[in-house]
Amino acid sequence: MSYVTRIAAGSVAAALVAGTALAQTGWAPEKPVEFVVASGAGGGTDNFARTIQSVIATHKLMDQSVVVLNKGAGSGAEAFLYAKQNAGDPHKLIFGTNNAYLLPHVGKMAYSFQDLTPVASLALDEFLVWVKADAPWQTLPEMIEAAKAAPGTIPFGGSQSKDTDETLVALIEDTTGADFKYVPFNGGGEVGVQLAGGHVAGNVNNPNENIGQWQAGAIRPLCVFSPRRMAAGEPVFDGKGWGDIPTCAEQGVAIDSYQMPRTVWLPAGVPPEATAFYADLLKKVSETPEWADYVAKTSQSGVYMAGADLDKFVTESEGKAVAVFKAQGWTAN
Amino acid sequence: MDNFSLLMGGFGTALTPLHIALMIGGVLMGLVVGVLPGLGAPNGVSLLIPLTFSLDPTSAIILLSSMYWGALFGGSTTSILFNIPGEPSSVATTFDGYPMARRGQPTRALTLAFMSAGFGALLGVVVITLLAGWAARFALRFGAPEYFAVYFLAFAAFIGMGTGAPLKIVASLSAGLLLSTVGMDSVTGVVRLTYGFTDLLGGISFLVVVIGLFGLGEILATVQEGLRFRGVASRIRLGDVLATMAELPRYWATLLRSGVVGTWMGITPGGPTAASFMSYGVARQASGKSGPAFGTGRPEGIVAPEAADHSAGTCAMLPMLALGVPSSATAAVMMGGLMIWGLTPGPMLFATKPDFVWGLIASMYVSNVVAVILVLATVPLFAALLRIPFAIIGPIIVAICLVGAYTVSSAGFDLWLALVFGLVGYLLTRLDYPLAPLILAMVLGHKAENAFHQSMILSDGSLGIFFSNPLVASIMAIALALLILPRLGGLRRRRNPPEVVE
Amino acid sequence: MRVGRLPAEMLAAALTGGLGLAGVLGSAELGASWTESGPEPGYFPFYVGLILIAAALGNGVMALRARGAQDEAWLEPEQSRRLLGFLVPLLAYVAGSVWLGLYVASAVYVAFNARFRGGYRGVVAVAIGAAFTVLLYVVFEMAFKVPLLKGPLEPLLGIH
Repeated sequence: MSYVTRIAAGSVAAALVAGTALAQTGWAPEKPVEFVVASGAGGGTDNFARTIQSVIATHKLMDQSVVVLNKGAGSGAEAFLYAKQNAGDPHKLIFGTNNAYLLPHVGKMAYSFQDLTPVASLALDEFLVWVKADAPWQTLPEMIEAAKAAPGTIPFGGSQSKDTDETLVALIEDTTGADFKYVPFNGGGEVGVQLAGGHVAGNVNNPNENIGQWQAGAIRPLCVFSPRRMAAGEPVFDGKGWGDIPTCAEQGVAIDSYQMPRTVWLPAGVPPEATAFYADLLKKVSETPEWADYVAKTSQSGVYMAGADLDKFVTESEGKAVAVFKAQGWTAN
Repeated sequence: MDNFSLLMGGFGTALTPLHIALMIGGVLMGLVVGVLPGLGAPNGVSLLIPLTFSLDPTSAIILLSSMYWGALFGGSTTSILFNIPGEPSSVATTFDGYPMARRGQPTRALTLAFMSAGFGALLGVVVITLLAGWAARFALRFGAPEYFAVYFLAFAAFIGMGTGAPLKIVASLSAGLLLSTVGMDSVTGVVRLTYGFTDLLGGISFLVVVIGLFGLGEILATVQEGLRFRGVASRIRLGDVLATMAELPRYWATLLRSGVVGTWMGITPGGPTAASFMSYGVARQASGKSGPAFGTGRPEGIVAPEAADHSAGTCAMLPMLALGVPSSATAAVMMGGLMIWGLTPGPMLFATKPDFVWGLIASMYVSNVVAVILVLATVPLFAALLRIPFAIIGPIIVAICLVGAYTVSSAGFDLWLALVFGLVGYLLTRLDYPLAPLILAMVLGHKAENAFHQSMILSDGSLGIFFSNPLVASIMAIALALLILPRLGGLRRRRNPPEVVE
Repeated sequence: MRVGRLPAEMLAAALTGGLGLAGVLGSAELGASWTESGPEPGYFPFYVGLILIAAALGNGVMALRARGAQDEAWLEPEQSRRLLGFLVPLLAYVAGSVWLGLYVASAVYVAFNARFRGGYRGVVAVAIGAAFTVLLYVVFEMAFKVPLLKGPLEPLLGIH
């Protein structure tokens, strides 16, 4: 899946400002902090956590050292279960995406969203519709028309099942009445190659997962699911760069925003001062040049959210996704 | 000879004092993580990634890849000396490596393993050097049905020539397949066969099973026969190392064949573990009747999996660099590193960053040679370990097995799992159940099932997709032939039974 | 205790058959039929489980039929005593690891074996156990930053 990088909002409930002040005087970790990563080594979430680890180390933002643990089983559920098992332990930070609050809706998971304390979100990863370079479609509506003409025949690749990619494809189908054939693979890189090789007709990869194939001119983007166009940056292929990609809403597909946050969580039951400490720490991380560099290289949007901002984002994003799950009959409960 | 001049430029980059020092350091660290079953190349590489931020990308990748080569070599050492595979891809090395060491020839077994591994790695780099562009384009032709065909081929090559009671092979194979389905299924998103154990959500780790079946199982067998190591007592002499090197050219056919198998599995990408099993199966098939049987310490049984493992490991760098698809856990971590350094894996990497790519390729020649020399130098050290009394080294091996099982996913549950598989491994081995099919099924079972399922979605449930183009049809045909032909031979023999039956 | 080959074969058949049964029952719940878009999630484990049960039954029957040959000892009394003497501490070690953490349990286990199997003096045995655990800590925790399972005792020593 992908890298997300807009920022995140921390989420300790309301009193962020007060909390931050407290953090500076009040709470600090007393032993090494575990970064529990809800993906395997090398995954997007893993790089997110390790980048933060290196920024903290470079700028000496924290006295205690950091230990990274990968717990990616069950689409990341393993990491969130670990949070539940360690309720009240403020030395375990969990790194994930929107999987933290979406997984319990689609599977019988032994944890619920209540087992997590939101801390912050540091980036938002974009989703684009990609097709093979020689595909007949120039815009998403053209592709949708083709899918309507021949329902269930155009294969759309994505990573995992009932996860962000399939949710987005289902959302496109619900919004437009098109009918694609969704094929789940194991990761964004694999899906990118399947598209370049012509084994699927389209995918909804994040920028970072497909940039290599776009540079080579094997595939091209149709549109991005973002309220506004992405930051311009360098041209990638044939004089076109990220900023030249139209939004899907511009093309007339009524999905104005579909973004994946890169989120950080604590187990439930930790002291509010601890949450505030980490929200403040991550805020400092998000202001470093190394972080800006990471966000730019992975073509994410660096948006820091914490507290009420984050809660609002989570509620909205959860509501939209759950509507799709209901329509698809994926809900577990 | 465009690639050739690029390669020469690459050597210019690789052969600086800094880079050679990084290679030596990387290989040494790799040996340490490779030897310990609890630490693997992925651990080592992810640990080093933060340290590489201050290096330029070429130096960083040289350090990381050298560590990977070191780990691949180190993994074979414990396979041969203790029957504990330090890395997943060295499981097949235990089949003949451990028996040979037990017969009192640990030096010969280790030297054979390291030399053929080095040969395999160099063959892999040569293939990358000459065929980089072609191989990357070829790999693009692999969709879900082709993936399934490759896994099926690896299965067929190994199982088709299996020995042992047929029903016991079936039991072992299907137990492995069943174990591989536990946990979250990525195609359907359904959690399967966990019976409510959250520890099983991620599936039963292949490494934990291997540590139990092979490591603990072997310790139990040792204990049963009295508290001492069976046989491995001889000293390691330099003369043995040299004599074994001189012996190596005799296995040129096995070396070449295994290198080709490994290269194929590295590019397609079936991965090093599958490559080593497949190569072992093919070598057994090709060996004919003469000489000691496979599984009793036959040299080809060491040469084949090692050469294939390393050529596959080397070639697996290619899909990572050229396509952005890592075919091993270590490659996945390195790819994460590439992105953090600001390099984009993909077809254009070769064009936009030739210094980086060819520096890496050149370093692969050098660091594999470095690795062979260093690893041979560690042989006496390991031999010394074998002289420690069993009452001390035995429990330490048990402890290292358990530590290894724990580190796979930091779960206490896995300690119990390893213990159970240790007991089961002991029981089944002593009843002549072959364990290799179980292991291979665990490695490939779920991947094959996923690829099959994806193919079925693409074809709306028609099996015809496995014969829908020349590439997939020919792989399937070869696989079916490998599976069926040896059985036909067996039938023919049965129809004309030898004089004495029971 | 002498163990014959037949009971051992039966145990192996029962274990593999039991695994097959668990697979069949678990996957029947998930749906094991073939739909228009290919197999349901339980399809493979269901049929693999059936094959495993069949193979286990077959192995059991073979063992019974080969009665004569199977009467041989599978474990001599001497061997089973050695195995038990090894298994009991091993079991305690695993249980102890889950309870007290790997460091403490490993030190105790290694020291115990050195003292009672190797016949080393108590002080030497404890030193060996402690040295091993320290080495584990240095390699895993410090050099490679891989945390191992810890129990209630380490925090008392100020180790996290």
